[in-house]
Amino acid sequence: MRPTLALIKREFTAYFFSPIGFVTLAVFLLVTGRLFGVTMNLLTEPGPRGTEFPMQALLGDEKFWLVFLFIPPLLTMRLLAEERGSGTLESLMTAPIRDWQVVAGKYIACLMFYVVLWLPTLAYLPVLLDMDATTWQPRIDYWPVVTSYLGAFLAGAMFLAIGLFVSSLVKSQLVAAMIAMLLSLVFVVAAFWRPDYDTGSLTTKLVNFISVPEHFRRDFTRGILDTRHIVLYATVTLLCLFLTVRSLEARRLR
Amino acid sequence: MIVVENLFKYYGEYPAVRGVSFEVPKGRVVGFLGPNGAGKSTTMRILAGYLTATSGKASIDGRDVFWDPIEARRRIGYMPESCPLYTDMKVSEYLKFRAGLKGLGWGTRRKRIEYVLERCWLKDVRNQIIGTLSKGYRQRVGLADSLLADPPVLILDEPTAGLDPTQIRETRKLIRELGQQHTMLLSTHILSEVEAACDSVIIIYQGQVAAEGSLAAVRERYGNENLEDIFVRLTGQEGI
Repeated sequence: MRPTLALIKREFTAYFFSPIGFVTLAVFLLVTGRLFGVTMNLLTEPGPRGTEFPMQALLGDEKFWLVFLFIPPLLTMRLLAEERGSGTLESLMTAPIRDWQVVAGKYIACLMFYVVLWLPTLAYLPVLLDMDATTWQPRIDYWPVVTSYLGAFLAGAMFLAIGLFVSSLVKSQLVAAMIAMLLSLVFVVAAFWRPDYDTGSLTTKLVNFISVPEHFRRDFTRGILDTRHIVLYATVTLLCLFLTVRSLEARRLR
Repeated sequence: MIVVENLFKYYGEYPAVRGVSFEVPKGRVVGFLGPNGAGKSTTMRILAGYLTATSGKASIDGRDVFWDPIEARRRIGYMPESCPLYTDMKVSEYLKFRAGLKGLGWGTRRKRIEYVLERCWLKDVRNQIIGTLSKGYRQRVGLADSLLADPPVLILDEPTAGLDPTQIRETRKLIRELGQQHTMLLSTHILSEVEAACDSVIIIYQGQVAAEGSLAAVRERYGNENLEDIFVRLTGQEGI
């Protein structure tokens, strides 16, 4: 346990030593801030042009996911690729720590930073929930917000696990980030051609099954928890973490 | 303390280590010699648990490095070749991280860090970023790291590579002092260093042990030549 905790601490604080962490945070807040502005406009629009689900305007938007695509790979690219590149992996792997503990430590650290990324967005909630200024009670249904954040956490966990796995395969951080983006793209880009598909076809079903923006647009941001999405995120996460452990093991056998 | 039996390691088709066997008894300081590419680093990496042998056995203090890797690694202080470090951390931060990684408790952690900082003459750079340190200091940080958990066995891969003569002398002195408390296996290219600091030598050539034994015994076997001549004779590069 102690070795894992030491590793989590080091990896988490490393985000604050390098500019990458702050740049990611700035970009992320810029985009969510802009989308929050758009949502505000929709909420204050007179007449029938408003929005029924404020979270949908925020997270169901494809523009958000196009930017979001870059964020997990930027957080995970250095985790193992840097250690392999600089040779420090050797001192890490010869310490009395098991391979799965190395993977768990690194993964938990990036997941923690990912949560930190989302924390400032809690400041939008009083408006999105139409909170009463005196009693702090939300005046509209708050479950869509809860499910949206849960969805964002689980989807992020999946993208981070993909990034960590890719990072364990290569020596260059840049290559790690690019391949991770490419793989993440599979889960994001399909929804972009949504209007072109025949709604009854198998393609639509498949696209709806793997397309994360679509999950958010239709379910999470409306307060629906569809177990299919959760199972997808959880299985991909676990598979990637498992493969990362295996890939670390395999490098000893080379 | 260190037992290696018939160790083989193939990198693809290429055999880097072919049937190496040796034993290092407790308290001995052993120089591990051989030309570049002879399989020294590979053998040490297998002992430290970074690589897995293709076949053969290796154990540290009775713990097999393959079947009981965590316990075996707990007993080793390993310093990799060229001593890779996290360049964005301060010396004290790095040692704190490594102590945690090695599972030291909070109380012993502080005590051991103070001890190794003192021992490796690092007190005056403890708050410096590792990236700004000179090669000699980095080497000492690596040595300090290997000493952190007070392991019975030290495995040092070229601890004096790239140092200036003063630093080499300091490191050699340190190694001699450490040899009184630890069993040590160190690889080097500087033969005078072996004569100054080691009890016995293992010479390895093309993945096989070419000579093994105490310094005096090896010298006697090869007609009391100096170590350099023996080394050149064994590794077949005479006349070059």
